[in-house]
Amino acid sequence: MHNIIEVRNLTKYYPAIKNAKDFLLSPFRRHHVLALDDINLDVERGSILGLLGPNGAGKTTLIKILSTLVHPTSGSARINGFDVVRQERQVRRSIGIVMTEERSFYWRLTGRQNLEFFATLNNLNSRQRDKRVHEVLCQTELDKDGDRMFKDYSTGMKQRLAIARGLLCDPDVILLDEPTRSLDPHAARNMRDFLKEKIIGQTRRSAILATHNLQEVEALCSHVAIIKNGSLIIQETIDTLKAQTAGDYYLLRLASNRTSIDLGSLPAVQGLMPLFGTPNLFQVKTDKISTVLKEIMDRGGTVEECVRKKVTLEDIFSKAIKG
Amino acid sequence: MFFNNAFAFLKKDLLNEMSYKLSFCLQIAGIFVSVAMLFFISRLFGQAQIPAIAKYGGDYFAFVIIGVAFSSYLEVSVNSMSRKIREGQMMGTLEALLATQAELPTIIISSSLYSFLFTSVRVLVYILIGVIVFGLNIGGANYPGAIIILVLSIIAFSSIGILSASFIMIFKKGDPVARIFSSLSWLLGGVYYPIEILPQWLEKVSLFLPITHSLEGMRFALLKGYDLRALMPSIICLILFTVIVMPVSLLFFSSAVKFAKRDGSLTQY
Repeated sequence: MHNIIEVRNLTKYYPAIKNAKDFLLSPFRRHHVLALDDINLDVERGSILGLLGPNGAGKTTLIKILSTLVHPTSGSARINGFDVVRQERQVRRSIGIVMTEERSFYWRLTGRQNLEFFATLNNLNSRQRDKRVHEVLCQTELDKDGDRMFKDYSTGMKQRLAIARGLLCDPDVILLDEPTRSLDPHAARNMRDFLKEKIIGQTRRSAILATHNLQEVEALCSHVAIIKNGSLIIQETIDTLKAQTAGDYYLLRLASNRTSIDLGSLPAVQGLMPLFGTPNLFQVKTDKISTVLKEIMDRGGTVEECVRKKVTLEDIFSKAIKG
Repeated sequence: MFFNNAFAFLKKDLLNEMSYKLSFCLQIAGIFVSVAMLFFISRLFGQAQIPAIAKYGGDYFAFVIIGVAFSSYLEVSVNSMSRKIREGQMMGTLEALLATQAELPTIIISSSLYSFLFTSVRVLVYILIGVIVFGLNIGGANYPGAIIILVLSIIAFSSIGILSASFIMIFKKGDPVARIFSSLSWLLGGVYYPIEILPQWLEKVSLFLPITHSLEGMRFALLKGYDLRALMPSIICLILFTVIVMPVSLLFFSSAVKFAKRDGSLTQY
């Protein structure tokens, strides 16, 4: 099987809470909020998909449907060939969910006791359980802190224990919902490195990483999907996406006293656009740069700075969300 | 797998409870306070034989200690499952539990086991103190019969507990089932007084409550040593109640889980 996750025409409506007016005027009519709108998504075996989208886009709903915690209104989703509604048990056997919500642990149990408990619920017998708990504690570098109470862990340690819990069954697919949320930038970077080196990089495990953090997606993922208002607007490999979009560009800064040059009338500068609302900062396509520079010089303009920039995921994301 | 999961829950809850040392000690102390209360009630009645409870041997202390001890199972069976769901929703652990390979019924039942274990310890202490300190005579008791009655009672009470858990799953708070059932059971089930002293129409109503048959069977087994044949009316009533209510409760529960998953509110509170 080529795709480990297949989502087809997945739609999810949540019931909306009625306000007083609705209660009076239409007491029996159901009100709904659209969370996912006809999503089609494939995740190749062994690939890491970054799931991006603004708040309320539907990322968590999609993760919860794939985790069997929420049923879709229509459409289907299959993991490892198993249907998330009709074959919940088999699906849960195939996935590891990394819930970074720290309240999902028992605070007055040690990290090890927490993992032992969840390992038993994942059907590991006592020998497998002890071995696996030791392995995941080592993998997440918590082996020395395994016997400390969860309440005494730092935020970073709590996140790592959440990852350890997700790995207990050595799942084919790991679903990560914002693994660096609530970490400071330094800890977030360490967590990204850790995920890359220890969790994702060393295995052929597939993963979906739902996040707001574009750096995280660029660092960890091979593919990206962008959801907006419940609709999937982009699904591509990151490299293809960058190639398909604007490509690399030049950032051009003119001397501020020369901004009166009418750049818009330059013959070959379609694709040259002012940036950030500043009058002297422009983005120029790479194939136009020599023409633009020549025209500016010819018209007496002064170029203060000309830097080649790579298209980042942030550029693509902003464009997709605005568009 | 069920037993592994059940043991894991039991161990987790025990470790968790013992980590709150003061609360754990107070829970244990609470048992002795309850027994002391029963002691004073027994002093009120002394050795007087009460005709209304003559069929149980006439000793009020023996009557009430069995009523109070075994009705604790009613409280646990009816309330613990819904309480554990609510607790999991509030604390945030329910989502993590549901993401494991354990089935929801296993999770719900296993999470109640600690309460059952603690209740059993409490009942045992009640009975032991009753026997050692207050001269409660259960020497001629039919213990296998009492165990059968106890198991059937727990299953019968739990069918209401499952119904109550279904309400909590959907409405989150304010479950009417457990409240009404518990109140009626305490009022009409013969915990503190025999049902024969109730007005006749209320006595008839009490016959629809499993606790009435549970306590009657338990008192006959422990205080009178009745054999299984004599206990059969209580056993049949408890089985009948379970056969009628349990399928309805399981159906409700299954529908409630599906509803909550469709609704996306399974882990909300």
